[in-house]
Amino acid sequence: MTSGTIRVLIADDQMMVRQGFTVLLNVQPDIEVVGQAVDGRDAIARVAELAPDVVLMDIRMPELSGIEATRRITEESPHPRVLVLTTFDLDEYVYDALRAGASGFLLKDASAEQLAEAVRVVAAGDALLAPGITRRLIAEFSRLDSTPRAPLKARVGDLTERETEVLALIAQGLSNAEIAERLVVAEQTVKTHVGRILVKLGLRDRTQAAVFAYESGLVRPSGY
Amino acid sequence: MGVDEARHTEPAEPGGGAPRPEGGSNKGWALRGLGLLRVLRDDLWTFVAAPLPPLSRPRRFRWAPHVLYCMIALILMGAVPGELDDDYGLTGGFGMAFGLAQGGAVVLALWRPLPAWWLSLAAMFVTTQTAPRTPLVLPGQFPAPRPPHPTPMPPWPWTAPGIITCALVLFLLALRARTRVCAEVLALTALVTVLSAPAPVRYERTAPAALVIFTIVLLVGSALRGRREARTQLVELSTVTAEERARRTLLEERSRIARELHDVVAHHMSVISIQAQVAPHLVENPPDELRENLDGIRKNALEALTELRRVLGVLRSENPGDPYGIGSGTGAAPDSPQPTLDRLDALVENTRAAGLEVLTEITGEVRPLPSGVELSAYRIIQEALSNALRHAPGSTVRVELGYFPRGLQARVVNSRPTRPAAPSPGAGHGLLGMRERATMLGGTLVTSKTASGGFAVACFLPSPAELPPHDEPTGPTGEKNR
Repeated sequence: MTSGTIRVLIADDQMMVRQGFTVLLNVQPDIEVVGQAVDGRDAIARVAELAPDVVLMDIRMPELSGIEATRRITEESPHPRVLVLTTFDLDEYVYDALRAGASGFLLKDASAEQLAEAVRVVAAGDALLAPGITRRLIAEFSRLDSTPRAPLKARVGDLTERETEVLALIAQGLSNAEIAERLVVAEQTVKTHVGRILVKLGLRDRTQAAVFAYESGLVRPSGY
Repeated sequence: MGVDEARHTEPAEPGGGAPRPEGGSNKGWALRGLGLLRVLRDDLWTFVAAPLPPLSRPRRFRWAPHVLYCMIALILMGAVPGELDDDYGLTGGFGMAFGLAQGGAVVLALWRPLPAWWLSLAAMFVTTQTAPRTPLVLPGQFPAPRPPHPTPMPPWPWTAPGIITCALVLFLLALRARTRVCAEVLALTALVTVLSAPAPVRYERTAPAALVIFTIVLLVGSALRGRREARTQLVELSTVTAEERARRTLLEERSRIARELHDVVAHHMSVISIQAQVAPHLVENPPDELRENLDGIRKNALEALTELRRVLGVLRSENPGDPYGIGSGTGAAPDSPQPTLDRLDALVENTRAAGLEVLTEITGEVRPLPSGVELSAYRIIQEALSNALRHAPGSTVRVELGYFPRGLQARVVNSRPTRPAAPSPGAGHGLLGMRERATMLGGTLVTSKTASGGFAVACFLPSPAELPPHDEPTGPTGEKNR
């Protein structure tokens, strides 16, 4: 693995989509498409074989759906991050994908620039969803039973007061710079807090941190 | 007065005049009551048939009421002459005539309850007028006391057979006639009874008992009629609901098909939008014109996608039970692509796993067909197989695909089921959807029972084989991409 190059696996049942994304991403100097998978089962095998940094995952695939493949891949290994790509921005897809452990969500018709940027952001672990998606995510959570899940709530207790505060702001979709501004601290301090939160809670990235914040009941969807 | 009386004594004959059982001696009164009388005449002086229908169940005894009435009529015919002879000293011809009248009224009531009622009422009236002494005692002379009668304590004015006859007739009348008519009939019966009631002291007064019985009989009959009418309305209502449901099912089926097809188109569009971005990277230094052109293609594809998502949103929101609607109707967002005939093997395998023996046969040169045709063919076969699973357990199913130059023929034929199928609700919707899919593509779909006790679904979906590549892309085959 060349340091600095993001290794990408593309899982989609349509050849045209796989080839298209491969061309678009290989143009980027810091991104390399290392493999393709034709369905969910294939994706799991390819991830085990190639250990990519990022998996571009279509949801609707034969044999095994992208959601299920995402779940198995993220359970299996902490390393690869999954960026879900679909034709429809259905709320249920977004929600299911994030619950399954995806780090980001993008429409297939995104521009080449958006696609490359999303891959970089997800790979860096800084990923958070686009503001529009975050809002819908919150709306989705607000539809659910708001009773927090007890084990999750207990784990919030491991965090310091400051870290809990930062986690709540992550869940609202703020960037590190915005959180720093809000708490009147240096951005580097926020980064340190975020890193500790992820380690303490055993979370993959900021997206999963936000999902955790909602599921544990730390943040209640309101005002959106 | 005499004329009025005559009308009463022969009610079965169409007289045309207003029935005035009270004897209407006062012309002024008659004029004042003209409106009321006209209503009474319209209601009561009709001979419209209102036959008693046979019972709907139990089937074996559907004619039982009619038989019962006829038997009672025979008994009455036998009993009346004797009674009249004993109690009233009416002998011979009178007795026979009244017996026939009473029995006849009971039988007549089965078809024409109103005239039957007139007949039974007239029989009573004439009996009372004839009994004590002939000739007639005119009502105008009431309430003059009557001379003594030789027989002690006979019933007056209603004889027992008279009450039975009239009660039976009134019961049938109440089953058929409106409540207002029943009320008028009761009032008129009461009036005639009261007018005939003043009797010699030695008679046993039956008027109150008779009127109570008549009232009860009319009430019970009316209640039964009301219940039956309510039930009829309910049946009509549920027929309407069933039609409504069928129409809604059709619409739901159509929008499901529409959703699936839009879904397919949306996927094509997103591929186009990706390819338009990819194309410039495939050539060295692409000219600006090419870039602009491809940008235009991408922009249009994105706009089309936006519209398609909007259409799918509309189609979805009309069907809250299936919010995403682009799957198999499970209500969840679909996580597999819309199927094509490539997936036929998996479908057949699933059906085998569910317990049917499935044979497949593919004839002709297999070629990729437009997504819409493949999707429809897949869905039709899927529905037919699921019908076979539901309705023909243990049968053997043949799935035949025939590729013809002009299109695709699909046949799903199952043999006779080896065990009875469990009843399943919602049967028939599948056939509806299949037909819709075939019709939409300009194809045909035929379903029929087979001679061996099985069921066959056959469809033809037109899809002309692709013309040689130098031709202009034509119609639906132009968008082929698989």
